[in-house]
Amino acid sequence: MTVVGYAFEEAWASLRRSGRSALVSIGTIAIAFATLGGFLLVSVNVQGVLDKWLQAAEMSVYLHDGATESDRAALEAFLKSKPSVAGVEYVTREHALERFRADFPELRDVASGLGENPFPAAFEVRLQTGNGGDAAADDLSREVADRPGVGDVRYDRRWLSRLVGMVTAARVAGGLVAAILMLGAAFTVAAVVRLSLYSRRDELEIMQLVGAPFSYIRGPSIVEGLLLGGIGAFLALIAIAVIYSSTSRWLGGDLAGLTGLTQVHFLGWFEIAVMLAGGVGVGAAAGVVASKAAR
Amino acid sequence: MIETHSVAKTYGRGMYALRDLNLKIDKGEFVFLTGPSGAGKSTLLRLLLLEEQPSEGDVIVGGRNLSSLTRDEVQAYRRTVGFVFQDFKLIASKSVFENVSFALRVLGQPIEQQRRRTYQVLKWVGLQHRLNALPEELSGGEQQRVAIARALVNEPHIVLADEPTGNLDPDLSLEIMNLFRDINASGTTVLVATHDRELIKWVGRRVIQLEHGRMSGIPEPRS
Repeated sequence: MTVVGYAFEEAWASLRRSGRSALVSIGTIAIAFATLGGFLLVSVNVQGVLDKWLQAAEMSVYLHDGATESDRAALEAFLKSKPSVAGVEYVTREHALERFRADFPELRDVASGLGENPFPAAFEVRLQTGNGGDAAADDLSREVADRPGVGDVRYDRRWLSRLVGMVTAARVAGGLVAAILMLGAAFTVAAVVRLSLYSRRDELEIMQLVGAPFSYIRGPSIVEGLLLGGIGAFLALIAIAVIYSSTSRWLGGDLAGLTGLTQVHFLGWFEIAVMLAGGVGVGAAAGVVASKAAR
Repeated sequence: MIETHSVAKTYGRGMYALRDLNLKIDKGEFVFLTGPSGAGKSTLLRLLLLEEQPSEGDVIVGGRNLSSLTRDEVQAYRRTVGFVFQDFKLIASKSVFENVSFALRVLGQPIEQQRRRTYQVLKWVGLQHRLNALPEELSGGEQQRVAIARALVNEPHIVLADEPTGNLDPDLSLEIMNLFRDINASGTTVLVATHDRELIKWVGRRVIQLEHGRMSGIPEPRS
């Protein structure tokens, strides 16, 4: 029998003997990885929303009512000359009103009741994305605000940048929480593996005395940790899938519509592979540490 | 085969278990190690099993200084040594057959070879009819025979036995000693630690006497 076959056979037998302690260990690993997977799921989808919003990020330059045609033409030429600008679209007051009516049909009557068109004419400026885009856009918004005919400048990317910062901070915090939980799970796995070693101490003594290779002495403990971690991570994925599926069904299209995404995505194959590999890795590492007691 | 040069083993401050021990055991020899409790018999066997290292001096087996072996070499060396203890050290949850085959299984031997060799050696010690029995279902003599079978299953060059008859009555002790004599007759070096002088006389082989960790007295003549 090969060392791998021996290690898996002994590890599986040991897990079955461990019973409740093995279940506790698998449970803690599952909780840690469900937390990580939950953060990954939210993170992947939030990133999708942010990307979409960032791509659509615009600067709106509103003209005041007294702006002349030459002010408008000069402003358009100025905007188009800027390298940080990807595109410029002029929206007349009438077009703005029509768009409002189309986007918010339930408020159509409110707009009609106002008599005079309340919407100002505006340039909608699409900005270049990429390195230095934010700083250039900040400069542009300051410059544009001082141009003749400009009433107000609205720049979406400022709050989007703040949102991105908050999401990044939340992601780091989530990662830290998951890392702490995983560390705790690794300690639990190590404790269970050590308990198994203790219950096999007679066998280990004989193995030492007959000159068994260290791969045979330590292998089962490492594989036991690996199995505990792998099973825990697999169960975490199942739990996340169940929660995702039931939440999607419960919210229907509302969530997707709310976020502007056509669909809220489940974890991709890469994230799933990372989670499984992480579970196996954390478990095996805990097994390696615990198996040193078998020397 | 086995040599010790000025070997000492201390525990704590100045507590000598062995002191200035110089001995030589030839290949294929059967030697008794005797002396009162605390004389250092078990300590010497532990040094030979590499469960411990000497505080001073060298232990040479088969021309190799045991202190210079790496971790993996220690395991390889142990594969050439069979051991038998007073308390048998059998695995309670395993059957007679499994206890013996375990020593081959953890060395990665093919299953067919494990089965053949285990049966062969259990038949040799006369336990072929108790293959599926658990250790607790066996008499002391039978348990010791299982331990001897396990020591022999890997065809060692040396067999070390620490008080192998300590828990057995005189008749069973003679039975076990006969097995050791047979093992030795096949060319295996045998070193048995015992304080049973009647048994030593009955078997009649070279005796190394230890007292307070040193060799003492005049070795008794071979029979």
